[in-house]
Amino acid sequence: MRDLSPRSPITWALIALVVGYAAVLFGLPIVTVVASAFQKGLDPIIKTFKDSSVQHAIFITFSLAGIAVIVNAAAGLLTAWVLTRHQFPGKRVLDAMVDIPFVFSPVIAGYAMIVLFGRGGWLAPTLFPIVFALPGVLLAKIFVSLPFVTREVQPVLASITPEQEHAAYTMGASRWLTFRRVILPEIRTALLYGLVLTFARAVGEFGAVAVVSGSIQGYTETATSFVFRALNDRNPSGAYSVSLVLMIVSLAILILLNLLKHRLTARKG
Amino acid sequence: MSIRLEHVSKFYGTQSVVCDVSLTVNSGELFVLLGASGSGKSTLLRLIAGLLPADSGRVWLHNQDVTHLPPQQRETGFVFQQYSLFRHMTVAENIAFGLDVRHVERKQQNKQVQELLDLIGMADFGKRMPSQLSGGQQQRVALARALAYQPRVLLLDEPFGALDVQIRSQLRQSLRAIQQQLGVTTVLVTHDQEEAFELADRIGILSNGTLLEADTPNALYHAPQTRYTATFLGHANIIPAQRNGTQLYLGDYRLPAPPHTEHLANQPVELLCRPEEIDLTHTLEDQRGHVVGQGIVTSIAQAGPSVHVSVILSDHVTQTPLNIVLPPFRQRELALQVGQCVWVRVNSYHVLGGTL
Repeated sequence: MRDLSPRSPITWALIALVVGYAAVLFGLPIVTVVASAFQKGLDPIIKTFKDSSVQHAIFITFSLAGIAVIVNAAAGLLTAWVLTRHQFPGKRVLDAMVDIPFVFSPVIAGYAMIVLFGRGGWLAPTLFPIVFALPGVLLAKIFVSLPFVTREVQPVLASITPEQEHAAYTMGASRWLTFRRVILPEIRTALLYGLVLTFARAVGEFGAVAVVSGSIQGYTETATSFVFRALNDRNPSGAYSVSLVLMIVSLAILILLNLLKHRLTARKG
Repeated sequence: MSIRLEHVSKFYGTQSVVCDVSLTVNSGELFVLLGASGSGKSTLLRLIAGLLPADSGRVWLHNQDVTHLPPQQRETGFVFQQYSLFRHMTVAENIAFGLDVRHVERKQQNKQVQELLDLIGMADFGKRMPSQLSGGQQQRVALARALAYQPRVLLLDEPFGALDVQIRSQLRQSLRAIQQQLGVTTVLVTHDQEEAFELADRIGILSNGTLLEADTPNALYHAPQTRYTATFLGHANIIPAQRNGTQLYLGDYRLPAPPHTEHLANQPVELLCRPEEIDLTHTLEDQRGHVVGQGIVTSIAQAGPSVHVSVILSDHVTQTPLNIVLPPFRQRELALQVGQCVWVRVNSYHVLGGTL
């Protein structure tokens, strides 16, 4: 779209305001983290990554986020499917509930998990511990990133008319084949977008994870928890180094999201 | 017999949408289900395809009871009103879908797809995406896709409903040609009586989920069984009458009773006269048709190849004006004017049982 009218001073002021705002809030932190990480050369960075607890933290952060993505892919798709394709009492309530992880403070969510799954809780596990253990970390990551897939897929799913499915059925395609050949290709980009957001959120989550995991060093401590601890321990180079890793991942995700968004809108048009 | 429905009913909750419908569609026939919106015609089509389960009754396709078979095993081709093409597939991939599901060899698929593209007059469109096609082209592709795997029956649900008038009549003609060329048994659902007349071998009239009658377009137009059919198809002039002995009595006027109406003797009946079967004269002595009364011309409208005249019959209970279509030369001969008193004569008429 091209703006044909000449820009008034007010337009310029608004643009400057938004750009300045973005620079301070988004740009400067990125520059700071990169600059600080390399402030004392490469040595402190290498030293940080040689620390086995840091390696472990980074490993569990990404691997558990990966599992959260798989779980939420299935759960999110199922939720979107049920919400668009079925009528049942309480549907609107369920639809509203999907946003709970967005509106709840993650710290409170983490606390609720301790109460629920901790010793003496309603759903206290008998086989293996959840709270202050890796399953708790995973659960927290799954919880906070739950709505993304559902919310991305839902509108696209709603735009697929039942006629398309019915046509496939009459042509002899089973329900599964219809899902794979007719539905999935339609929602693929939206699903991917939701999954990338899920991964980003699961990697970056701190509050819920910190509460439910107890941030036990070398065990349940995640990358974000490590950054927090390093700052408290006056270990800025450690904090900046791990932050740098997280940030590079985030920037990669950002680029990926924009590519996907382009594909999503190109499709609709 | 390609399609046989036996006492098929469908309920949504306690509301019946299809009510005890029995129907036979012959091999190679194009049968049109005609009804107003909400008459249950689309539901009936979905019951045949198995997209909805029937609550009672049986569905037979080619002498096989398919009542309990899922849509995948009924081998029907279904064309929906709109937007049913797979948006992420090319035209060729859409058409090949049914063949692909049946694991037809790729080479054979390509050959059949090309034949179908030729059949629908879109030979060079195989690589296009549905979004690059007009509505009419999309429906052609939908038709080709439904025919690709040689279904036992072709089912079309208001296939031209979303298209412009001009495209609609083009598509009707090509549908009729393709259907006759392939000899595929077809059921088409529509609310458009013109469409029904143009396409149908036989028409079934649906109202409130009930199949009122099924017959050739001509028979339904000239000799309907029910008042609903009479008024739904074209314009109907309905005049109350009494049938006694061999005569029909309309007040002071008498007409010979048509054959096969003996069962209606001594009861009130209705005379159905189509607008083009009525003539007007200035004198009683004229020999044309049968006089049904005298009336006053209330309006005259030129409508291209014909003239529409309204006449209110005097000495009759009904004050509904009769609609009459005259050829322009007749109107010139008569020099009709609004307010004139004329004799109304019918050339052909049909008797409806009064209770229906």
